[in-house]
Amino acid sequence: MHGLFRWSSKWWPGLIPLLVFWLIAAWTNTVALESDLAARSGAALKDTVLDKTRVAVEGRDVTLAADAFSEDGRRGAVALVEAVPGVRLVNDETRLVPEAKPFVWSAERDVVRVTLGGSAPLPATKGRMLEVARASLGGVEVVDQMSLARGAPPRFDNAAQLLIEQIAKLKDGKITISDSNVTLSGMARDLGGREAIAAALKNLPEGFKVANDIKAPPYVFQAYKDPVAVTLTLSGYVPDNNAHAALVAAAGRKFFNEKVVDNLKASVGAPSGFAAAVVPALGALSRLSTGTLVVSDREVKLSGDALYDAAATQVRAGPGRDFPQGFQYKAEISVKPAAAPVDGTVCQQLFSELLSKGSIRFEPARAVIDPDSAGLLDRLIETALRCPAAMIEIAGHTDTDGDDASNQALSEKRAQAVADYLVKAGLPPDRFTAVGYGSTQPVAGNDTDEGKAQNRRIEFLVR
Amino acid sequence: MAYLAAFHWGWLLASLLLGFAMGWIAVVHRGPGVSRAMARWLALLVAALVAASVANVMPGRPGYWLELGLIMLAPYLVGCAVGSWLRDWVLSRSVPAKPGA
Repeated sequence: MHGLFRWSSKWWPGLIPLLVFWLIAAWTNTVALESDLAARSGAALKDTVLDKTRVAVEGRDVTLAADAFSEDGRRGAVALVEAVPGVRLVNDETRLVPEAKPFVWSAERDVVRVTLGGSAPLPATKGRMLEVARASLGGVEVVDQMSLARGAPPRFDNAAQLLIEQIAKLKDGKITISDSNVTLSGMARDLGGREAIAAALKNLPEGFKVANDIKAPPYVFQAYKDPVAVTLTLSGYVPDNNAHAALVAAAGRKFFNEKVVDNLKASVGAPSGFAAAVVPALGALSRLSTGTLVVSDREVKLSGDALYDAAATQVRAGPGRDFPQGFQYKAEISVKPAAAPVDGTVCQQLFSELLSKGSIRFEPARAVIDPDSAGLLDRLIETALRCPAAMIEIAGHTDTDGDDASNQALSEKRAQAVADYLVKAGLPPDRFTAVGYGSTQPVAGNDTDEGKAQNRRIEFLVR
Repeated sequence: MAYLAAFHWGWLLASLLLGFAMGWIAVVHRGPGVSRAMARWLALLVAALVAASVANVMPGRPGYWLELGLIMLAPYLVGCAVGSWLRDWVLSRSVPAKPGA
């Protein structure tokens, strides 16, 4: 042992090369050691949920800066880095992500892009939301302006994901989650988009309150009566195929002369009472010589020329109490200039021509004129006005169904009902005589339904 | 410590060999040695440095360099001790072989 002490006094010269070794080792190894420790720390933090993570290493000391989403997560991350072999000290510069109060998230769509803004609870949620947005929006640009914050309501992820999917159904608008309140505003892309969004919102997780203010593009139905082509063109939307068929059939009954051109498409999103508003409006259109009917949501606009003054007044007054509530009726009706007067013979020809194209309809077994016949009656009145001197016999006929006495009575009543209608339209009562012939003058066999239908008729005879 | 040793094993081995060589030479070296007082001061200095290192007094890179120096010094000293002892042992075996020594 004594020798060791003696010898050790001579060991010092080796310290000089050792010093050189140390300098070289420090020179070459410092950066390598630091990057090794940084890589190990990074690997240790791989599975933690942090934002803006920065790991800086000086010597063996690690400075960890990050935004954590819970106090446990924050402490856990620091502990993980402390446990990395080789790390001497951890300078803890982590902090908690600020808490948003209220927690607001929004998705806004304009013409070219969708902007996601407000707060998202976790980076993973944010990533998933962007993914869903890009997937459901196809080629539309998605701009991410979300920041991270704590304080999201429970089941926020599910709600936000569902709402992002609704953005695709909007043309423009904004969807906002503020704590547990969901507000939607804007314009749906298609007819029915509003209904589709409302249906989807039923799947929102429990606890979210919805204020849905999405508007849909107007539900438009149009009908154009063209006197030159003698057509009625229907275009726009109808609620479904049944309503479609019913509307076209009603148009066929009301427009006895015109060919119905059907360009209608079925679509959801019709205002309630759509058919109940459109059918009487078509009836009013049928009374015009030329005209356009536009039903846009709950606004019914009719414009055109009536055949005579009284008709114009009636059409302007609208369908009255039959019209469904909430619908607005606007009519811009002028009166077609009166046609040149003609003598009785021409009048008779015109009456026969009109009544060969259509017949005046009544309610079954009653003397009440079917409103579908208003268009035909208007034309008959217009014709009667052209020959003011002619005396006209209105002749009622029936088929052979039922006993003769009742048929006779019915034919008389129906003829009288037509005469009354003409008088009400402003024609002098002394020009008309209503005569009933019962079933005594058939024009076709009474053995078929078609024949019977032809025999049930009103004739105008100029005397 | 294990991490440091594993990371710098080459340098530690070099220090050990350097120490072994120095120890080997020191037994027969005729030059001036370190005085007792000086040795005591040096030992004190090393102890202070070890204490500073253990207490993590020096931050960042200087702290690491201090640790590196100390863990290189340790194998050097061990090498010196082994070298000197071995040289002495070799010499003491060869001395009796010389007649009349």
